[in-house]
Amino acid sequence: MLRATGFFYQRRRAVDLFAKVLGIAATVFGLFWLAWILLVTLNNGIHALAPAIFTQSTPPPGGEGGLANALFGSLEMSILGVLIGAPLGIAAGTYLAEFAERHHTWRESVRFVNDILLSAPSIVLGLFVYTLAVRSVGHFSGWSGGVALGLIVLPVVVRTTDETLRLVPNVMREAALSLGIPRWKVTVQVLYRAAAPGILTGVLLGLARISGETAPLLFTSLNNQYWASSLNAPTASVPVVVFQFAMSPYESWHALAWAGAFIVTVFVLLLSVGARAYLLRNRIEGAG
Amino acid sequence: MDDTTREAALMDVARTKISVRGLDFYYRGYHALKNVNLDIPERTITSVIGPSGCGKSTLLRVFNRIYSAYAGLVATGQVLLDGENILDYHYSLNRLRTRVGMVFQKGVPFPLSIYENVAYGLRHHFKLPRVQLDERIEHALHEAALWSEVKDKLHTSALSLSGGQQQRLCIARAVALRPQVLLLDEPTSALDPIATGRIEQLLNDLRNDYTIVIVTHNMQQAARISSYTAYMFLGEMIEFGVTADLFTRPQRRQTEDYITGRFG
Repeated sequence: MLRATGFFYQRRRAVDLFAKVLGIAATVFGLFWLAWILLVTLNNGIHALAPAIFTQSTPPPGGEGGLANALFGSLEMSILGVLIGAPLGIAAGTYLAEFAERHHTWRESVRFVNDILLSAPSIVLGLFVYTLAVRSVGHFSGWSGGVALGLIVLPVVVRTTDETLRLVPNVMREAALSLGIPRWKVTVQVLYRAAAPGILTGVLLGLARISGETAPLLFTSLNNQYWASSLNAPTASVPVVVFQFAMSPYESWHALAWAGAFIVTVFVLLLSVGARAYLLRNRIEGAG
Repeated sequence: MDDTTREAALMDVARTKISVRGLDFYYRGYHALKNVNLDIPERTITSVIGPSGCGKSTLLRVFNRIYSAYAGLVATGQVLLDGENILDYHYSLNRLRTRVGMVFQKGVPFPLSIYENVAYGLRHHFKLPRVQLDERIEHALHEAALWSEVKDKLHTSALSLSGGQQQRLCIARAVALRPQVLLLDEPTSALDPIATGRIEQLLNDLRNDYTIVIVTHNMQQAARISSYTAYMFLGEMIEFGVTADLFTRPQRRQTEDYITGRFG
């Protein structure tokens, strides 16, 4: 058997080992902090969980209470955000992937601008909606919070819709078109069905992202210690309550902040894992 | 040689279904088809052969104007279907595509059930009562020689079918609209020999009812199934004739070089 023992061979092996060790170390370094954050959150959160969290509203300073109003406010505003961002995003993504082919520069510009919106700091979006929907009306409101969250969902959904539709093989479009079916019908009835797992995943990832957003809500829905009478009033949300309570000097508020952090973390984790698992399963089925 | 003479005689009487006159095709400035002239006879199989990039698929894609889905593709000249120019702006795509069906290299079913795949085109073009729709679908699946294999699972996903079955489903989907012309773009190049044999058998069964134009890489396939063959090279129509003649007594040197394997 041929054995390679020359100098170059030894050097290649050394370089290979060095690169592998560096790569593994970098991965471990990143995962270590993530695992630590997760463990601390989960550990403290579980101890702070109590039935009252889901039944009582946020307490006055030092008092006992729950997070019911914040959970409900978060739910309301997140749903509103998805209802605003998802349809607009799907429509825009569809336009980019299916109907903008004849205007190359324009299409690429829209994609670029969307990418900017995707990476825009969420506090800027919050300030934007503050000027638009809070100052003009004269008071903070749950509606404006939902609008700000919608602006965060929008670019995520535009991008995933655009990319998923572009993954649908061209021959499927051509097969449907060659049956004499108009383009819009092909898109809605055939392509959407083929791209559904990807589009749905985009919407779920958007939802996961906004359910932990604090910055855009500080300027829009503000906070509310009580049940908001309607979305017209300032509305409590879990991330903002966590922010406020964690900075307070009261033990009971700290416990509630941990519980809130725990709930949001677990929700986002389950949503992300679920969305990805769903997408993966459908990809495999589609390929088989 | 008996077959040859009979087919040669047939050629004289066969009615022309598609008549191509001075067709030029430009792909974003690239001249892909150069002054192509061709008469495709009715109710028989015509093959288009030639090396990769010779324009044979492009020619096929002009016949149902599927190319017009993309920007920057231009066809000039005339393509007469029953005497009417389909390249005319006024010739409706809807009308054209119910008359001219197409099957692609890879049979890609829609992500729907087997039944819905065949029903899809029918539902769009005709408002049929359920019973009639069922009949048309059953008939189309019979024509595509698929009925016996799928009749008990019409409502399961079409993606569960094998590659050969998927391709036959695509043929069923196309013939369900009862087109007059059926275009096939290398329909068997992704299939194994057994599945290929079934498709060829199926095309042979359909030859008296449809005008079939098939683009193929496989010269043996062209020789096996088609009555007429066209040979294209670098965007030009080099030779067109009765299949047996073209393969045994080619008129042009370029054709002979290609079919004897000297290049291509």
